[in-house]
This record gives sequence, structure tokens and C-alpha cells, in this order.
Amino acid sequence: MKRMNILLSLLLSLVLVAAACGDDDAGTTTTAAASTTTQPAAEETTTTVPPAPVLIGAIHPLTGGLAGAGNRMDNGARMAVDEINAAGGITSLGGAPLELISADSTGAPDVGQSEAERLISAGVSAIIGTYQSAVTTNVAAIAEREGVPLVIDVAVDDSILDQGYTYTFRLQPNATSMGTNGAKFLSELGGDEIKTVAYLHDDTGFGVSVSEAFTTAAAALGIEVITDITYAPFSVTDLTTEMAQAAAGSPDVIVITGYYNDGLLAARAAIDLEVDVKAIVGIAQGAFHTPQFVEDFGADAELFFNSNYHFNSSDPTVAGILERFEARFGEAMDTEAMLAYQAIYVVADALERAGSSDPADVRAALATTNIADHFLAYPGPITFDDTGENINAEPVLMQVIDGKVQQVLPIGLRETDPVFPGTSWGS
Amino acid sequence: MVTVLALVPLGVSTFTLSVATTALIFALAGIGWNVLSGFAGQFSFGHAAYFGLGAYTVAVIFTKYSISPWLGLVLGGLVAAIFGLLTGWISFRFGLKGAYFALATFALAELLRLTFNNFDYVGAGIGITIPLAGGDSWGSLQFEDTPAIRYFVALGLVALGTLAVIIIKRSRVGSRMLAVREDEDAAASLGINPLRAKLVAIAASGFITAVAGGYYAMFLMFVDSDLAFGPFVSVVILLRPIVGGVGTIWGPVVGAAILSVLGEVTRSLVRDPPSFLQVIEGANGLDQVVFGLILVLVIIRAPDGVLGWFHRFRTRSAQ
Repeated sequence: MKRMNILLSLLLSLVLVAAACGDDDAGTTTTAAASTTTQPAAEETTTTVPPAPVLIGAIHPLTGGLAGAGNRMDNGARMAVDEINAAGGITSLGGAPLELISADSTGAPDVGQSEAERLISAGVSAIIGTYQSAVTTNVAAIAEREGVPLVIDVAVDDSILDQGYTYTFRLQPNATSMGTNGAKFLSELGGDEIKTVAYLHDDTGFGVSVSEAFTTAAAALGIEVITDITYAPFSVTDLTTEMAQAAAGSPDVIVITGYYNDGLLAARAAIDLEVDVKAIVGIAQGAFHTPQFVEDFGADAELFFNSNYHFNSSDPTVAGILERFEARFGEAMDTEAMLAYQAIYVVADALERAGSSDPADVRAALATTNIADHFLAYPGPITFDDTGENINAEPVLMQVIDGKVQQVLPIGLRETDPVFPGTSWGS
Repeated sequence: MVTVLALVPLGVSTFTLSVATTALIFALAGIGWNVLSGFAGQFSFGHAAYFGLGAYTVAVIFTKYSISPWLGLVLGGLVAAIFGLLTGWISFRFGLKGAYFALATFALAELLRLTFNNFDYVGAGIGITIPLAGGDSWGSLQFEDTPAIRYFVALGLVALGTLAVIIIKRSRVGSRMLAVREDEDAAASLGINPLRAKLVAIAASGFITAVAGGYYAMFLMFVDSDLAFGPFVSVVILLRPIVGGVGTIWGPVVGAAILSVLGEVTRSLVRDPPSFLQVIEGANGLDQVVFGLILVLVIIRAPDGVLGWFHRFRTRSAQ
């Protein structure tokens, strides 16, 4: 038994030493790479040493059920980094280029956490991410503990910023904004015609927080949620039963909150059942406002509503970004990817004003962000309040009309008039 | 061995320490699993139930009642032990064995997952975020800028768990567990009460695994129903002792060390491959495939775990 223990400890120490060496190796290879890149440049211009690149981390689900959206977001961030570098890098840091380090959360909060720690160990000045509320909650705690700013591109749950964190900033509207604005849009859209709603949503922090905010705001506007049905978004393969259950109470409108794939299932079920309602309205729904949804569903996609964050489709700069993205990656850019792209520009703006790549300085600069010429359909500039929420982040109501996702509310951002009541199969 | 593990924090990054801490936490959960499934022979496929109860107990009493997580670890262990006794009593009384018992444990973990996912008191689908206490605080088990302490606490818990298992295995009730595992009817004919031996095993097993879950909640600063009770958690817990060696004292620790190092090596290989493997750079998901293949190989080559393989190797070379 004793000998066994000694041998075991030897084995374990070998394994652990191997792990430690692996880490050392990674360290030496990066320094070696850095010196090889700096040396030739130093020979050309003997007087100035080129600035070291500024590292930015990006955490998204690159594998697993949300890999599609996660990879588009990573591509969006990559494109922003390349464009900023092509335009001369960060001027106040002597033209320092940005370097993106992508990390895969695999959709799991614990992996997101260890990836965040990896990025911070690598020396990033800021992190962007992560598309999921649960993962973001975790990464925000690490960002706070380690003192590295986190710019949330997509993650809706209010409670992420309720912790009093000072290092986390959010670009997208939070759950309260999503829910209350969604309720407001319904009441503007339907007037007295919308009295009852059946709510179908995912059972994660995302769906729960948005539906709670909606239910409260809707009650104040005289709209009652008569059915509330949840499902597990990453394991669900069919939503026909849930959709039939939602339609059973004869609600005026069915409201849906969730991610992309489950959104497609919900839409498919509604179309197959030809549910008898005045409208199907997504609120913070991940699919109904995407070009992919229109492409996949064709005429069936007509008249689906979605109240969600959106890039500003009336802005010519945005049109250029969309074109460049599609040309480079071969697929249409969605709002999630635009938010990741925007997040990099927000970090770059902070770096520029801070004149430093120190995470604490970047945080201080982020707190005084004021970007008017952004790419999102918000009523004002990107600027953060004390808790880190983007003050002007609001969703817009969109509808698929004539095979195109078009902004219909608020009036100021309207591209065309909404069609209500209406479903692709009904009146 | 303890000295070797104690030297780990010297000169490694926060990230490496974080991986090592996670490995220790799941080693502890595996140590707990091993008591019921390795020693008493009752294969559990739902140890996430105990892990999650521990995690939620710590999170709830700390966020809602400001009770120290240290007490939470003990309370969580007790909650899990009681849950184990109740459900174990029912399962064993109805004679659930083998695959049926495994399925019952799986169903119980799923039941808890769904319950907690819809239970507003524990944050339903949103989960519970554990607030930062600010600075180093032993009372609230949080340490700023000193990830090494988090590692050492995990190491201490693993040491305690191992000590507990050594005591159990050498005790009279431990021998009864082994007897029940080998042949329940024979054990019963010798005057051993198999039900009692199995209930002691399930309570001790649940307690240890719940301590791991409780510490995991403090380590992540966040818990939701998937992280606590998800099916994946059960698999992660039982893979450690299976790879290391079921029913051995050190199996779960060895298995955890091997699997976490393997996981990190395959992941970093895909991130920064050596020059001759440049094609796989950024091939997301490939690391998981490679990891799975290596795992299958290990299990085929060493069905009784790495320790069993090592033991056979030693006896063969001695001949």
C-alpha cells in the first residue's frame, strides 16, 4: 500500500509538472513570437520601437447549440479589429494595433469563467461577450474580481449589473427595457385589440427575466398574460405541443422569447398549426428579425413581428458594414454580430481616450463613453450610467413585410407601416 | 503527494490555477461518488443531485441570510445526506439495482434540476449570483488577487475527503459495504444488514459530493440549475473515478488530474497548434473530439481505470 502511494504521487507530480510546463511553453512561444515580429521592424526604423499590440479578448459560444450566432459574433469582432488596424490602430498609443484573442465558452458558464481567466492571464486590456446571460453573469464576476473591463455585446438579464459591478458595461437593452418596450409596442400596435397574451419563452435567465418585465409592464397597459409556457431552449426538438397549449386559451397575440433555433421551432409550429391569433410577436426573440429566418421560411415568414435590438438599417455606414461582412464571411450579418463589431469600436474608443492599455485606465475611459455615430437603432448616443447600462439602449419593433425585415416602431425609425392584425396564414 | 500538490501554485498563471482548482473540486465530487458506487457497488448516474444541493445551499444561505459559506458547506452536506437517505431508503426498499438504480438516480437529479429551474425562491431560470464581498475575506470564502488561496482551500477539502474515505474503508461499516458490493445475498446470510450498509454509503457519498458542489458555487460565484443539477455534471463526476480506478482511494484524484490536463492540452493544441499541425488551428470543437477519442482509448485499454492498469503493469513486470 505504501509503495503504491509513493508511485501514485510520482505519477501525479509528473502529470502536474507536465501541466505547468505546458503553460510555460505557451509563455515562451508568445514572447518568442513577439521578439521575431519586433526585430525586423527595429532594423528598418532604428529610432522608434513599434508599439506593442493591445490585446482584446472575445468570449462567445463557438461550439454547441449556439455556435452559429457565436461564430458570426466572433467574425464581427474580428472584422472591427482588422478595420481599426488598417486605419492606423490606436493613435494615442503610437498607432498600436489591436489583437483579438477569441475564446469559446461552449455555452457553459464554468467554461466561460476559465476562458475569461485565460484571457486575463494573457494580459488583455478588455473583454467583450458573451451572448448568454448565465455565461455573462459569471464572466462579469471574474472581470470585477480581476479588474479587467467587460463590454457586454449581447446578454439581457438585469441582474448582471445589479451586483454593483464597476468593470462591466452593457451595449444592448436590458431585460426590463426589452420587456417594457415590448409591452409598449404591443399597446401602440393593437390599441384595444390586444387584451390577452399567451407567452411562450425559454426557461433560462434570458426568457425568465424578459417575460417577467413584460408581464409587469403589460399589466399596467391593460394587457393580461393568460398563459405562460416555458421550454428548455438547447435540448428542445419540437414545440408543437407548447404552441398548441399557448393557442388553446384563444389569446389575441402569442408572444415568444428565446434563442435562434428554438425560435425557428416555435415559428414552424405556429405555421403548421395555423394558430388563430391576431399576430405572433417575438420579444427579444433571436430569429424573427434575421435575414436567415426570411431565407429559411420564405412566404411563411411574412408578418412575424419581433421587438429586439437592431442595427440602424437606415444608416448608409451600416449598409457598408453589412456588405463588407457578407463579402468576407459569405453570410448575412445579424444584429448580434453588429453588436460584437460595435463593442470592439467602443473598446477602441476608450483606448484612444485613455492613451493607455492598462485595464483600470480603460475602465475609467469606458465610464465616460459618448459615441453618437454608432451603428445601432437607438434614440441617442452610446453612453453608460453608473451601473454600466447603455442609457439609450432600446429595442425597435420589426416585421417581415414583402420578404424583408423592416422597422415599424417607434415612428422615428419606421421604414414602413406595420400590418396588424395579420399572420401569413390568416387574414 | 501533498507537498507536490502544494507546490503547484508557485509561478503559474491564474488560469492554470483555476483549471487545477476545478480539477480538485471534481476530484472531491468523484471521491464522494466512489463511496456509493465504488465501495458499496450501487452505480449512481445522478450525483449532480448532491452536488447541486450543496451548491444551492451555500448560495442561498450566503446571499439571503449572510451565513458563512463554511457553515454552508456543512449544511449542504447534511441536506444532501438527508436527501440521499430518503431517496436511498425508497430505492433500496423497492430493490432497485444496477441499471434501474442508476436510472432512478438520474431521474432524481433531473427532477431537482426542473424543480430548481422553476422555483422562484432560488432565482428560477436566472440562478443565484453570489455577491463579491470585496477584498480577502476568510469568513465569506472570497479572496481577491490571491487565486492560490482558492486552490489551497480546494486542496484542503480534497485532503479531508480522502481522509474520510480512508477511515470509512477501514471501518467495520466499510467492510460491510464491500461485502454488499461483492455479493449482497451472501453478505445478508452472514448477518450483515445490506440496507443499512447502503444507506450509510449513500449518506456519506452525498455529503462529500455536496461539499464539492458548495465550494464550486463559491468558486464560480454563480449557480443555476444546469450548473448544479445538469446531466453533464453527473457524467463529469463519475468519469473521474472511472478513469482513475473505481473503488480505490486515489482513483478519483488521479482521474481528475488526468482528465483536466488532457482537456486543457487538447484545447490549447487547437488554439495554438505546433507548426506541423497548423491546419487544425481554430477548428473549434475538434478538441472535444480528440478528447473523446483519447477517453475511449483509455477506457478500452484500462477498463479498471488507470490505477488498475498500473497495478497490472507492475505485477506483470515483477514476474
